[in-house]
Amino acid sequence: MRTLRHARRIAAKDLRIELRTRDILTAMGLFALLIVVVASFSFPTASEHREEIAAGLLWMAFLFAALLGIGRSLAMEHEHACIDALITSPVPRESIYLGKVLSNLAFVGVAQLLLLPLSIVLLQLQPGRGLALLLVTVALATLALVGVTTLLSAMAVNTRTREAILPLLVIPVAIPVLIAAVQATRIALTGGTLGAATPWLLLLTAAAALFLLLGLATFRHVLEE
Amino acid sequence: MSVTDTPREGRDLPASTPDRRTGGSSSAPPPRRAGGRRLQLLAVATGISMAVLLVGALLWAPTDRLQGEVQRIFYIHVPAAWIGMLGFGVVFVASIAYLVTRSARWDRLAASSAEVGVVFTTGVLLTGPLWGRPVWGVYWDWDPRLTSFFVLWLLYISYLVLRSYLTEPTRRARYSAVLGIIAFLDVPLVYVSVRWWRSLHPGPVVANPDGPQLPGSMLAVLLVGIAAFTLLFLLLLRLRIDNAVREDELAAPLRPTSAATDRSARSQHTDRSDPGA
Repeated sequence: MRTLRHARRIAAKDLRIELRTRDILTAMGLFALLIVVVASFSFPTASEHREEIAAGLLWMAFLFAALLGIGRSLAMEHEHACIDALITSPVPRESIYLGKVLSNLAFVGVAQLLLLPLSIVLLQLQPGRGLALLLVTVALATLALVGVTTLLSAMAVNTRTREAILPLLVIPVAIPVLIAAVQATRIALTGGTLGAATPWLLLLTAAAALFLLLGLATFRHVLEE
Repeated sequence: MSVTDTPREGRDLPASTPDRRTGGSSSAPPPRRAGGRRLQLLAVATGISMAVLLVGALLWAPTDRLQGEVQRIFYIHVPAAWIGMLGFGVVFVASIAYLVTRSARWDRLAASSAEVGVVFTTGVLLTGPLWGRPVWGVYWDWDPRLTSFFVLWLLYISYLVLRSYLTEPTRRARYSAVLGIIAFLDVPLVYVSVRWWRSLHPGPVVANPDGPQLPGSMLAVLLVGIAAFTLLFLLLLRLRIDNAVREDELAAPLRPTSAATDRSARSQHTDRSDPGA
């Protein structure tokens, strides 16, 4: 319980900073929108396979926006030497991990909530009955993605290249999440219900559980010095 | 590289035989001992088994009725794939062992095994298309096994990239151990997701390159191949670990020899006191 309380406090700190600067959300939201725009020029988004293309496109936007935002969120801790204060504070490492996961979930979630309706309009989608499946898919896949990206970004910011290496670390690990998310989103956009995508949702749940548990188990080895 | 001119063999054997280590200060002249002879034996055994494999694969094994001569690549392709994956399993075990013991030798084992594993799996990804083109008509197909193997290769490339971007030794060891664990546990997810992805959207049916029934002579050559590649893996691993020991000694000339560090690290975590952060 105390672990969670500390985590909430750390997340609240991040959200307060973000409310004052709006650095991360501006960068993420605009970047994701730009990906959708560029992709609309690059792929036949007006064709009959619109839903299939849109599913892949949405997740490319979500993935790259999350990489940008989470990389920034961890790099910020370093720039202000805030990470040293966190390490020396009498707080379990698991709380720091959970706190960063919570604030990163908030950043990525808000960006997705802005981008989803926009893309539905821009890409002329009609999820209709599939809306519930779409939201569950986004929630589960984002949990898995944020769980592993938060852990890996804490390592990436300590390398020679800072956040630049983050995509190289995250994308190979996140491939199963991306496959499942794209497939479930595709089913949702063509009007499928929750039952139609059960295997994919199970896979996303397993990935989210695995990545969060691994993060909790190994974060203290990452945040040591 | 000739195996006979590796000095100081025996100083740091693979972790499976820790009792062979000898102490002694770094200034002592490099002694020749049983470890060197074992390495020579290993090298000779690797050479012989590879020669036997070549004869068996190219001359002795029967020509495949459907695929013809090109099928003989099978005897290199499959053993390299299996032993490469074994190497990634070693990375996983060594990564956990490193986080538990904080002994630099586990980190060297993980790093070396990942490198040799990547060499083997790269060989698999190169021989696969050579075989696929005449048999399937295409160099590459996003079939489940090909795709998941490709992702597996990417995972360990990113492991090696992470290592190369970290210079401080204990941090490099900790971070890569964490990634070594994540990557290995990710493999089942990769496999399941790729399988489901392809089975929900079946592509053109491709012929299975290895038929379910393997004649005895083909199986025998395959087993020779697996033995040869296991020996090759052990040999390369040994040489790579010896190299890593020397790299560590060069990187930290003022610290005690790696063997001594390893021993004390096990009890008092001297590894951690590195001020490089």
